[in-house]
Amino acid sequence: MLWWGMAGAFTLVWIFMVVLWLVAVRRDPGEVDDAAAERLQTRWIVGGGLVLPLVAIIAILIPGIPIGHGMLPTADDDVLKIEVTGHQWWWEVHYPDTGLTLEDEVHMPAGVPVHIHLRSADVIHSFWVPRLAGKLDAIPGHENVLKLEADEPGSYRGACAEFCGALHAHMGFVVHVHTVNDFEAWLEGAAEDD
Amino acid sequence: MSRAEHPVHLVAGLVVWMLWFVVLYGLLSVGCAVAPPGPGQGIWNWINASLWLISLVVVVGLALAGWWCWRAAIVSDESHARFMTRVSAAIYGLSAAATLAVALPVLFYPPCV
Amino acid sequence: MTEPSRQDRQELHRRFEAVWSNWPGLGTLAAVNHTSIGLRFMVTGVFFFLVGGVLAMLARTQLALPEQDILSPEIYNQVFTMHGTVMMFLFAIPVLEGLALYMIPKLIGARDLVFPRISSLGYYCYLFGGLIILSSLFLGMAPDSGWFMYTPLSSAEYAPGPGSDFWLLGITFVEISAMAAGIELTVSILRSRAPGMSLRHMPIFCWYILAMALMIVFGFPPLILASVLLELERAAGIPFFAVGGGGDPILWQHLFWLFGHPEVYIIFLPAAAIVSTLIPVFSQRPIIGYRWLVLAIILTGFISFGLWVHHMFTVGIPKLAQAFFSVASMIVAIPTAIQVFAWLATLWTGRVVFRLPMLWIFGFLFIFVCGGLTGVMLALVPFNWQVHDTHFVVAHLHYVVVGGMLFPLIAGFYYWLPHFSGRMPTPVLGAWGFWLTFLGFNATFLLMHLTGLLGMPRRVYTYEAGLGWDWLNLLSSVGGFVMAAGIAMVLLDVVLHFRFGRPAGRNPWNADTLEWATGTPPTSYNFASLPDLPTRHPLWESPQLMDSIPEGRHRLTSIDHGRRETFGTDAVTGRLKEVIHLPSNSWWPLLAACSLAVVCVSLLIRMYPLALVGLAGAAVFLLRWSWENGAHPGAAPFTGPETDDPPLHSRTCDGPGLWGMWVTMMANGTLFLSLIFGWLYSWTAAPEWQVPADSHVSIGLLLASGALLTVVTLGYDRLVTALCRGRAEGLFGRLAGLLVLAVAHWLLLLLAVLGSDLDVTAYAHDGLILVMLLYLLFHSSLATVLLGLQLTRVRLGYIGTELPYEPVVLRPFWLYLLAVFWISLGIFFWLPLAWVGGS
Ligand code: HEM
Ligand SMILES: [Cu+2]
Ligand SMILES: [Cu+2]
Repeated sequence: MLWWGMAGAFTLVWIFMVVLWLVAVRRDPGEVDDAAAERLQTRWIVGGGLVLPLVAIIAILIPGIPIGHGMLPTADDDVLKIEVTGHQWWWEVHYPDTGLTLEDEVHMPAGVPVHIHLRSADVIHSFWVPRLAGKLDAIPGHENVLKLEADEPGSYRGACAEFCGALHAHMGFVVHVHTVNDFEAWLEGAAEDD
Repeated sequence: MSRAEHPVHLVAGLVVWMLWFVVLYGLLSVGCAVAPPGPGQGIWNWINASLWLISLVVVVGLALAGWWCWRAAIVSDESHARFMTRVSAAIYGLSAAATLAVALPVLFYPPCV
Repeated sequence: MTEPSRQDRQELHRRFEAVWSNWPGLGTLAAVNHTSIGLRFMVTGVFFFLVGGVLAMLARTQLALPEQDILSPEIYNQVFTMHGTVMMFLFAIPVLEGLALYMIPKLIGARDLVFPRISSLGYYCYLFGGLIILSSLFLGMAPDSGWFMYTPLSSAEYAPGPGSDFWLLGITFVEISAMAAGIELTVSILRSRAPGMSLRHMPIFCWYILAMALMIVFGFPPLILASVLLELERAAGIPFFAVGGGGDPILWQHLFWLFGHPEVYIIFLPAAAIVSTLIPVFSQRPIIGYRWLVLAIILTGFISFGLWVHHMFTVGIPKLAQAFFSVASMIVAIPTAIQVFAWLATLWTGRVVFRLPMLWIFGFLFIFVCGGLTGVMLALVPFNWQVHDTHFVVAHLHYVVVGGMLFPLIAGFYYWLPHFSGRMPTPVLGAWGFWLTFLGFNATFLLMHLTGLLGMPRRVYTYEAGLGWDWLNLLSSVGGFVMAAGIAMVLLDVVLHFRFGRPAGRNPWNADTLEWATGTPPTSYNFASLPDLPTRHPLWESPQLMDSIPEGRHRLTSIDHGRRETFGTDAVTGRLKEVIHLPSNSWWPLLAACSLAVVCVSLLIRMYPLALVGLAGAAVFLLRWSWENGAHPGAAPFTGPETDDPPLHSRTCDGPGLWGMWVTMMANGTLFLSLIFGWLYSWTAAPEWQVPADSHVSIGLLLASGALLTVVTLGYDRLVTALCRGRAEGLFGRLAGLLVLAVAHWLLLLLAVLGSDLDVTAYAHDGLILVMLLYLLFHSSLATVLLGLQLTRVRLGYIGTELPYEPVVLRPFWLYLLAVFWISLGIFFWLPLAWVGGS
């Protein structure tokens, strides 16, 4: 929603600027004396150069700050923890609670936040599921925590979003989101298979 | 040459802004490395407080400098001096505004997460 | 015009030409003249643009359809890395530098830049470095880690071939030319403006270039340091960025973007300078809001250094820190908006003459505003998380660089074409070129925003069919080829105009700035006489300058001494201070650049002894070059008491060389600060930082060396101060004494370095200390050698009370050495002790 609002507003600004330019080029200004030019300068530059960008900035910060807030990981204790390690060119997915390890697929319950602990075994990768959350890098020597939350069960495509060498393009993965009950069942089944 | 039209005022405001920015980012990083406040504290902790305090001091200082140049601009009758003092005053003013704006998130976000 | 004046004029022209022209034949390679060097920069830049363009077309061909394998992933990665590298480092920056080198003296009423040989050195470093990088493509071992070369992907472990070395060494080599241009432009603009041109009278173009030049001075050193460190890591195994040894890959990102973000504005400012120059001319009225533009330029220059982390929002930096950079990124929109509205207001109040260059300015506005708006969107962290590293960013980036740089540049080329060649472009072909480029560009990149929003990551060599990206990519590729056709049309137009363009005559656009008084095409000396210019619009206010200048009716017309000369003036007020005598054609820059190329290539193929030979050669050539200065017979020999008013600059205590030295030390200081940053950063943030227990550097030796350094520097300082007051008793003896102490200082430092026990391949800690020690040793050696040369020059009579200039120029170097010496000791040895002791 926000994106479309922002994109729409910005498109309007863009069209406005281009039209303004066309009119400015076409029109015959008549005689403009220095005093008139001075007045015009103040009006245009203060209006367009200071007020306009300030309004735009405030307009996107007001919804932006709370959204940023919501993306902060919450306390680590009571959420499902999944450890994901980037390799050239695959993802190792590990569930520390059950000792389960998967390759290029993540399973998680719907409706509750999950913490993805990101690490890298070699170069920098970036874990990204476009429809669920922003991306976060997996960097050698560092651990980053991404809060992931899906409202609806289903399968979501993910990709590596930081260039990591020859087969970077093929470093995709899938996130399977189950209802909480299905997820418990899956977890038990998978742990038995193991 | 009066002091307010010295060319150093063309850049001094932004130099201060930059130094402040380095201190802001540096203090935050070092603070989080050395003595990170507990996660429950939200924005009420020593790091946010000191960042905010430093920022306020800088804003006030820059604003005063801007006002000083502006007064010099109003009384000066020579065009070179007027040019220099006006631009300098605007630089100080905008530096103060930029300081305030960049410091604003200190009021909203906890420091180290 | 009466006959006699015409004859005088030609006689004057002939005599000036004899002194100022380049040597014929191959001798033209020794040229130092800013007009020639500027043109060479621009032509070479356009060549690299075409190379980058061909690479882009290769990439677009590969991406046109899903799951193609025209290019293998290995090749595709080289292609996009080289495209980005060539476009940013070998096209955008150099071509704009070239334009600035060409224009600045002509705009400020000077005959050349103040350090002509540096222009030449810069050009050759650019040319050779560019060719070395380009050769990697043909050898099939081009860099392939992306144009920002993130470690560890670019490190020896994951990029074992020489690709990364080509990038690191080649780019550093090219960087020399950027630094050279930055320093030279800064000093020229500040110190060689026409008498009476105070800051407020500078054409707005000069403000932009001044800001760009200073941004280069402060922006490039972090990258130079980072490249040196990474190359050391690759070649010698010092783990600056490798986690295991206590390094951190994030440090590379900080250093790279500390350069990389300002770089975007280094490209944008000169382009905006072109826009701000053309719009008033085609509106036939002075620009509205000159003062506001100056303000916007200064703001941009500073604030763009506070944004670098916005390229690193996904590395896991604390939210609050991200917010600082996010807000700062939005703030830069303000100066840009100020400029856009000043341009609009100028058009609004002017009677616009719509000619070909204006078409490209329109394209600029259309594309750049869109790029700016998507930029504000990207500055918002949550949104950035969503589209960072997708094709949305590729689209945004091209809207900014192509809109904000390429379009104004072509506008500028068309505008100054009559100045370069004396002929006008043809309107029809030119318009075709514009529309094809414009439509092709938008077809390529407007759609790409959507491709990115639909989730296509960047830097992928191919993609699966059926994700909704297919038709978008196909259209983007078609658009790319339309754009290429447009560019080809523009080139054709330019080539044809040399043959078919109608002669331009003088000042064909009725412009206000002085470059149009240098002739179309310009003479080698620009102005036969130098007028006072207390105005921003010389040719609108006094069109007769077009005649009175070449007729020699202003100042500094004597040329019989055979020296190239121009005026030196006060940095703020433009008050006339001295006559700057400039060197003429010289082989030293070419020879020095060749030696540096040897160094670069031999480091690439890891023949280190050869590198040492090259380094020695470069040192010899550079010192030999510096020998021909001041009262040397090849420059301005001293012939007994001089009473000239104003005096020659080498007879004063404050000339352009001193300013150049200070600006160089500012750049150097930025390099040093970057090293300090690396040290402090690693100390606090590297995940496995370790302080080895058993490494050892003799603090005693360092303290002793520092004590001697302090004595030498203070003694030298007093000696120079006395010299400038006209006292030179015992100059030779005192200088010789200082030299002895300086050598002792150097020896102690050398001993400390040689005697140090550092395990550099195991610990980043020790590696950083070694780099610091070598940095000090390099400066100490250079300072000592230069002091020795001064002593010889005193003996030869090139230095004395009448000729105090050279010791004055050297003084900042010693002061700088003194400062960095003690700061290094404090930060590298004392601070950690205090830290460990305190906790
Ligand atoms: C002539 C029209 C151009 C076309 C069709 C074009 C096309 C492309 C494409 C397809 C990519 C994406 C490669 C990828 O991410 O897989 C790219 C990246 C890039 N382009 Fe261009 N480009 C053009 C002009 C320019 C210009 C004029 C500049 C700079 C002055 C430029 C600078 C860059 C940079 C810096 C990158 C990023 C490279 C990287 O990711 O390492 N491009 N371009
Ligand atoms: Cu990847
Ligand atoms: Cu940036």
